[in-house]
Amino acid sequence: MFHIDFKFSQAHLIVPRIIAWVLVILLVAILIRRIVRCIKTKKPFFNKDFRLLVKGWDKVRLIGYLVLLCLYPLAMQAIHFLPASIIFMFLFNVIFNGVEHVKGFVAAVKAKEGWSNPSFRSIIISLIVSVVSSVLIWLIFGTLFKITLP
Amino acid sequence: MGGITFQFQYLLMSLLGVGVGIIFGALPGMTATMAIAIFLPLTYAYDLNTSLYLLLGLYVGGISGGLIPAILVNIPGTPSSICTGFDGHPMAMRGEGERALKIGITASFIGGMVSLVFLWFFTPPLAKFAINFGAVEKFLIILFAMTIIAALSKGDMLMGIFSGFVGVLISLMGNFAYNGMNRMIPTSGILKLKMRNGFALLPVMIGLFALMQIFQEAETGMKENDFKTNLDTQTRKFKFSDLKGQGINFIRSAIIGTFVGVLPGVGGSAASLLSYSQAKNFSKHPEELGKGSVEGLVASECANNGLTGGALIPLLSLGIPGDSTTAVLVGAFLLQGVTVGPLFISENPILWKSILLGLFIANIFMFILMFYPIKWISKIINLPKGRLYPVIILLCVVGAYSANNGNMFDVWSMILFGFGFYILNKFGMTTAPFLIGFILGKNLEEYFIDAIQGSGGSLGIFFSSTIGNVIWVLIAVSIFYSIWDATKDSRKARKAAKAAK
Repeated sequence: MFHIDFKFSQAHLIVPRIIAWVLVILLVAILIRRIVRCIKTKKPFFNKDFRLLVKGWDKVRLIGYLVLLCLYPLAMQAIHFLPASIIFMFLFNVIFNGVEHVKGFVAAVKAKEGWSNPSFRSIIISLIVSVVSSVLIWLIFGTLFKITLP
Repeated sequence: MGGITFQFQYLLMSLLGVGVGIIFGALPGMTATMAIAIFLPLTYAYDLNTSLYLLLGLYVGGISGGLIPAILVNIPGTPSSICTGFDGHPMAMRGEGERALKIGITASFIGGMVSLVFLWFFTPPLAKFAINFGAVEKFLIILFAMTIIAALSKGDMLMGIFSGFVGVLISLMGNFAYNGMNRMIPTSGILKLKMRNGFALLPVMIGLFALMQIFQEAETGMKENDFKTNLDTQTRKFKFSDLKGQGINFIRSAIIGTFVGVLPGVGGSAASLLSYSQAKNFSKHPEELGKGSVEGLVASECANNGLTGGALIPLLSLGIPGDSTTAVLVGAFLLQGVTVGPLFISENPILWKSILLGLFIANIFMFILMFYPIKWISKIINLPKGRLYPVIILLCVVGAYSANNGNMFDVWSMILFGFGFYILNKFGMTTAPFLIGFILGKNLEEYFIDAIQGSGGSLGIFFSSTIGNVIWVLIAVSIFYSIWDATKDSRKARKAAKAAK
């Protein structure tokens, strides 16, 4: 038990196997503790009240963020860093600040309302933030500091 | 400080770091760790010496900025400001907001400076002592760090240890340099090549500390802050004489903060809480604490900035990060090819002096940047997160991509860890132990293999040295302490539940 058969060709598996066993033991300990607690408190093993996401979670922001996050690297590979960043920064700005502003923006344009309309203002700020931040980061990181950009 | 060619650039980097750090610290939901993780890629453009001024500035600014929302709106900007609001907010409510902020800033400055002195004096002898450590002792020190992280992190000890070991396992993915064999990665296809070196540290860190936070905010609707903070009408102005009689409180709190910082994984919130409770125990007027007492405010802020120097002591002497922020700092060293550990100071004397000077300058900048223009600085807490987060995402992607000089796989790793840990966090997995396990995993394996190779496979080697046995005792004590502490807490909770019935 207090000896490990050390073979050079198998050395890469020694520690991962030990760690895997430690994790199994810890997992069993966590399960046993949960069972004991459930018996003591007379509560069911699976908590019916458990929610993966908070009540009333924001579907647009969470799903929108995840989807855009996954599409952004693909877009960068397809159309390069600067155009992809401007487009995606704009989209991130729109979903984080409220997609309802898109409708409001269209209505404001039709009604020829300008800066005084909050939706018009929000979309224009999104556009400015996305262009300015993308160009600045491209200039500072890519040109000034010569950091490799996608 | 002989040996350092001081450059104007260092001052600029420190100033930039402190300024950005204060913004991150002041915004609830953003932390110093996040700031350092995001700004790490910028360090590619500079040598480690220059980068350190930026990173230490971010660290000090990030920890200090948390006091602004804690005092003005009773929401700690960072976990380490948890007790600041207890007394700072009541002061703000009675029209002494500016006075409370200035007391907090002064306490933060003194706490940071005292911890710097401790860092200066304690790190070299500890490193000298650790130089004699062999593979066995180094392995056991890492094991001890991992148990203490989980043991002292209040909450779920088993999940803490579990998270740490998951971090170790994931860090081992890829090629094992010792025999050149791959493990735990696909055996064919594009991923075999991409994952040959496992997951890079920087994308993992950025995913854990930036993207995950944004997932949490997105889930709850990313509500914008609309805090009403009026510092124009003040009933009582700050005077340095307000701090009269706080000398012992300053020293005690800074020392508590420093020593809590030395313990791996304990974090700023524990430093703040412990220091606050001690201030209450020693106070001549304990009943005043919690109602706007200078004593309580000084205790909390002095301790959390005391942590900054303290957390660097185990990092620079043993190579073990004291908290998640210093764990990210390890990343900065690793990215520049510098290994932190017992030999760090003797092999890198200039870097060591840069760290001391960097911390000193960062504390001075923090004081200047926050103390005088506090009326304007305090407006930071209303910066719109919906506008900041897209820029942070952009910085994250650039940072992850540049981790290995342009590799899209690293961007995917960042997204995987950010989203993965956002979900795992809901099942109790914790990020700080995971990251520390991930950073120390490869060293843990290296020392273990070195030790058993030397002993011909006998595990008895781990019980053969006196220092090793002392570390075993410390491991046992930390585990028993955490079991005792958890039992005590659950008893208390049961009693409280019974009383409520």
